[in-house]
Amino acid sequence: MGSLFRSETMCLAQLFLQSGTAYECLSALGEKGLVQFRDLNQNVSSFQRKFVGEVKRCEELERILAYLVQEINRADIPLPEGETSPPAPPLKQVLEMQEQLQKLEVELREVTKNKEKLRKNLLELIEYTHMLRVTKTFVKRNVEFEPTYEEFPPLENDSLLDYSCMQRLGAKLGFVSGLINQGKVEAFEKMLWRVCKGYTIVTYAELDEPLEDPETGEVIKWYVFLISFWGEQIGHKVKKICDCYHCHVYPYPNTAEERKEIQEGLNTRIQDLYTVLHKTEDYLRQVLCKAAESVYSHVIQVKKMKAIYHMLNMCSFDVTNKCLIAEVWCPEADLHDLRRALQEGSRESGATIPSFMNTIPTKETPPTLIRTNKFTEGFQNIVDAYGVGSYREVNPALFTIVTFPFLFAVMFGDFGHGFVMFLFALLLVLNENHPRLNQSQEILRMFFNGRYILLLMGLFSVYTGLIYNDCFSKSVNLFGSGWNVSAMYSSGHAPAERGKMVLWNDTIVRRSRVLQLDPSVPGVFQGPYPLGIDPIWNLATNRLTFLNSFKMKMSVILGIIHMTFGVILGIFNHLHFRKKFNIYLVSVPELLFMLCIFGYLIFMIVYKWLVYSAETSRVAPSILIEFINMFLFPASETNGLYSGQEHVQRLLLAVTVLSVPVLFLGKPLFLLWLHNGRSCFGVSRSGYTLIRKESEEEVSLLGNQDIEEGNNQMEDGCREMTCEEFNFGEILMTQVIHSIEYCLGCISNTASYLRLWALSLAHAQLSDVLWTMLVRVGLRVDTTYGVLLLLPVIALFAVLTIFILLIMEGLSAFLHAIRLHWVEFQNKFYVGAGTKFVPFSFRLLSSKFSDDMA
Amino acid sequence: MLEGAEFYFNVDHGYLEGLVRGCKASLLTQQDYINLVQCETLEDVKIHLQTTDYGNFLANQTNPLTVSKIDTEMRKKLCREFEYFRNHSLEPLSTFFTYMTCSYMIDNVILLMNGALQKKPVKEILVKCHPLGRFTEMEAVNIAETPSDLFKAVLVETPLAPFFQDCMSENTFDELNIELLRNKLYKSYLEAFYKFCKNHGDVTGEIMCPILEFEADRRAFIITLNSFGTELSKEDRETLYPTCGKLYPEGLRLLAQAEDFDQMRRVADHYGVYKPLFEAVGDGSGGKTLEDVFYEREVQMNVLAFNRQFHYGVFYAYTKLKEQEMRNIVWIAECISQRHRTKINSYIPIL
Repeated sequence: MGSLFRSETMCLAQLFLQSGTAYECLSALGEKGLVQFRDLNQNVSSFQRKFVGEVKRCEELERILAYLVQEINRADIPLPEGETSPPAPPLKQVLEMQEQLQKLEVELREVTKNKEKLRKNLLELIEYTHMLRVTKTFVKRNVEFEPTYEEFPPLENDSLLDYSCMQRLGAKLGFVSGLINQGKVEAFEKMLWRVCKGYTIVTYAELDEPLEDPETGEVIKWYVFLISFWGEQIGHKVKKICDCYHCHVYPYPNTAEERKEIQEGLNTRIQDLYTVLHKTEDYLRQVLCKAAESVYSHVIQVKKMKAIYHMLNMCSFDVTNKCLIAEVWCPEADLHDLRRALQEGSRESGATIPSFMNTIPTKETPPTLIRTNKFTEGFQNIVDAYGVGSYREVNPALFTIVTFPFLFAVMFGDFGHGFVMFLFALLLVLNENHPRLNQSQEILRMFFNGRYILLLMGLFSVYTGLIYNDCFSKSVNLFGSGWNVSAMYSSGHAPAERGKMVLWNDTIVRRSRVLQLDPSVPGVFQGPYPLGIDPIWNLATNRLTFLNSFKMKMSVILGIIHMTFGVILGIFNHLHFRKKFNIYLVSVPELLFMLCIFGYLIFMIVYKWLVYSAETSRVAPSILIEFINMFLFPASETNGLYSGQEHVQRLLLAVTVLSVPVLFLGKPLFLLWLHNGRSCFGVSRSGYTLIRKESEEEVSLLGNQDIEEGNNQMEDGCREMTCEEFNFGEILMTQVIHSIEYCLGCISNTASYLRLWALSLAHAQLSDVLWTMLVRVGLRVDTTYGVLLLLPVIALFAVLTIFILLIMEGLSAFLHAIRLHWVEFQNKFYVGAGTKFVPFSFRLLSSKFSDDMA
Repeated sequence: MLEGAEFYFNVDHGYLEGLVRGCKASLLTQQDYINLVQCETLEDVKIHLQTTDYGNFLANQTNPLTVSKIDTEMRKKLCREFEYFRNHSLEPLSTFFTYMTCSYMIDNVILLMNGALQKKPVKEILVKCHPLGRFTEMEAVNIAETPSDLFKAVLVETPLAPFFQDCMSENTFDELNIELLRNKLYKSYLEAFYKFCKNHGDVTGEIMCPILEFEADRRAFIITLNSFGTELSKEDRETLYPTCGKLYPEGLRLLAQAEDFDQMRRVADHYGVYKPLFEAVGDGSGGKTLEDVFYEREVQMNVLAFNRQFHYGVFYAYTKLKEQEMRNIVWIAECISQRHRTKINSYIPIL
């Protein structure tokens, strides 16, 4: 049984870490993942702790690394993920690493900034060329359609002021041209009109290709505009408005030659910029590639370092400030490893004084550690989902390994379905080292984690399927049926016997639609089928009645055995926690209550199976009636199962009734008696009080140490002492509630186990329906077309089998099996009020960096 | 809206109300403030804020951390939340949101005009503008030289336009004019907002009207206080008072005649709501300032707004509470960075 039966014994240990070597020691501990640290500075807020500066440095490094990863991802450079995880960096390297990273960051920022600047420049130049190209047509139009342009001067009633005049007058006529975001055009125009009161002419055209916005990097549509205005004042306003709408304004060439010149200049500059930009990008890529090589190990290292400092923040300093004191929970079995890890750590850092540890006694409840392997992990998870076991409590996971798949299989009993499930699980198990399965997500991950559960569930379903003799709802005749139909014909029997028996002859066989085989006729029933249900039942019309009776009784028997087992496990708990009185005052009455009622029911079921045969079946009494009569004491005598039944039942009932008050009052009264006069008898000393004595000694011992270590723990000690107060009312209430729950639970839980029957019935019927509705229809069709039809029918059958019968039904059976374990089984003994042992281990840090950082 | 808004409220605004209540739960608690006050450096403040709902909003800031960086980031966060509310809102809640932004817009316009008056570049001022009151036309404010210019050219299409009816004048801007403009705009804004809430009725009216009445009266008091010893005439002063408060009309008339703080206090004594506030004000040397007292009262009203359901006041209250929280954090951060710890505890606790 070993470690899976109970959680491991833990001890509280104090580590004395020399301040110079603390980091290395914790690094060594983290690699091994042996201990769980206790926070000794709970009332110190996070920014007042000792190593907050180091944590900050780690955060700074993380920020830089996040930036690197972001840039690397943006450049589409693959990030190699290392196989091994590098150890936490030695302190000497940290500075080096930090420097290196900071240098890299500065360089990277500079290069990207340059790149951005160049790109922005380039975009601007491109915009400028576009603008020049578009505005050229504006001017042309102006020249061509002179009259429209001339419209303006007459408005001012000055016919002399034509276009050429305006130019001659000097700087009066100005142009502003540029690009504006498509969405802002309308508002821009309106404001221009309102502000300049029509002293401007705005021409604009949409740019046919969308360009990137140099500021936001968005690709949007742009409009090119040209504003012609008169007068200096208006010019200023126009410029301000352009600024307001974030227009990109470019100087407007006045003459055609100038325009050409600018255009040529622009083209060469664009060419130049392209080459420079390419070079910069190449260089950037080089830098990033180099960074990408080491970024993975850096990320892991920084994470480890941060974790170490977080743990160091939980330690307290001793008086001399020379060493750190950490309090850890450690499994006793690992103490040796712990010592070695500490030695290693000290050796690595080359300290003169080694770090050491000693164990300290404690009254606090240690965390629960149950070591699991890949097989038991899934089952332990089922139990832990209900509640992590209290320290050193009997762990139901061990029994769950067998009972869970078995109860599942009782509800999922089908040879074929079970085999498919088994194959699927086997596939997962055999390929469990496949990387794609390991990193799978969501649903597949769920299946993968529960692969061993699935495997056993499939295997057990194969077994129960054999017992039920169900394979895709059809029975398999492996050994030959135990029933002989021909024996029902009259020929083979002696004339004397014929009179008593209802035998078949040709007329009966021809006329009646339903024929009944009579097992009492010699030769008809030749003995039971070697394994499970006889396949002949598959043909019988009363098959369901027969199976129902069988499955109902079976589920009651299984349920009561399961629950009784739970109560017995409770005895192990009481033995271990040295509360023997609980066995006599709680467990034994509970067992008696359960067995006297429901144990007797099982007895009756089995007795009836064994004693009554086909011949005597007509006089067999109903178990239901007998069971009810056990409580009602009817006036009229029935012919019971056996002689003296009445007396036995009375006795059992008396025991049941007597066990109830014991259950209700026994424990509270006993505790009260102990509390009031525990010095009376030696008996009491050996049990409960001895533990109290012991613990008091421990507490005082603890107290002595506390004085040395400071008053922080003294408070803990005081807290522990106070909770031992005796409160009779409370104990009585708890016990009464528990007893009521148990007594009612016995009945309701037994009824609850009938779900085994219900679900197995539902499963069998559903698969039967699927068969009759699909495959039988397909098989009935004429041979010529039948082949063609059978293919889609079989395909549909397979799909529906997998989705409805395997996945849906499987899930429901799984849930019910879980419920039976959590509620009906575990509430008989399992407290589940522990806390999980979470060791400080680097393995628990996520080794993937892409999802949380990028 | 129909009577019994609770039947229909959730159809349109239920999601946002749920959201804003969730956001309210993330306001800093008393314990957070106690921890913040203990901080030694701004880095500590940052670390502590990381454990609250602010998360690592400062993570991407390069060192050294300054108060203004914290302030900007906090504002950005509030703005993001507000924009989210606004983008998901339906009428008439979106109009309500527009009204809420108007006060920030007025402040921004005035800030920009003051900047223009002092010949500062627009870019520099823009940084100081409150992000909630941002609008496109804002940057062109300095084109205008008179209030009517401002209205006709720049603001005619913004939500601020209706508030201009009283302040059209051809005077060129100077410092006093701008201040007058601000107060007049604010007056008509408050009155319009009050009318909107009143017309909306229902719980929204019941919650928002007292808050806005208080806001109006507070402005009246503050204007009076600030006008002592300036060239502002009493008649002019009276035109600046918002008329939707509890002081209207007698209180305002009396306030207009007030000449010093004591006379103002006497006016307030007539009102049960304001009497205790003025009594709480300390005299010169120590104690709270009038402003702080008003802030406290505002916080109290805003917190109480969350006691009712199915109304828009929660959005207003949340924004105001968040602003108060930001002011508190900035105050604490300033005290820490200037090593001026004696006054660090005079933040306004949010209940």
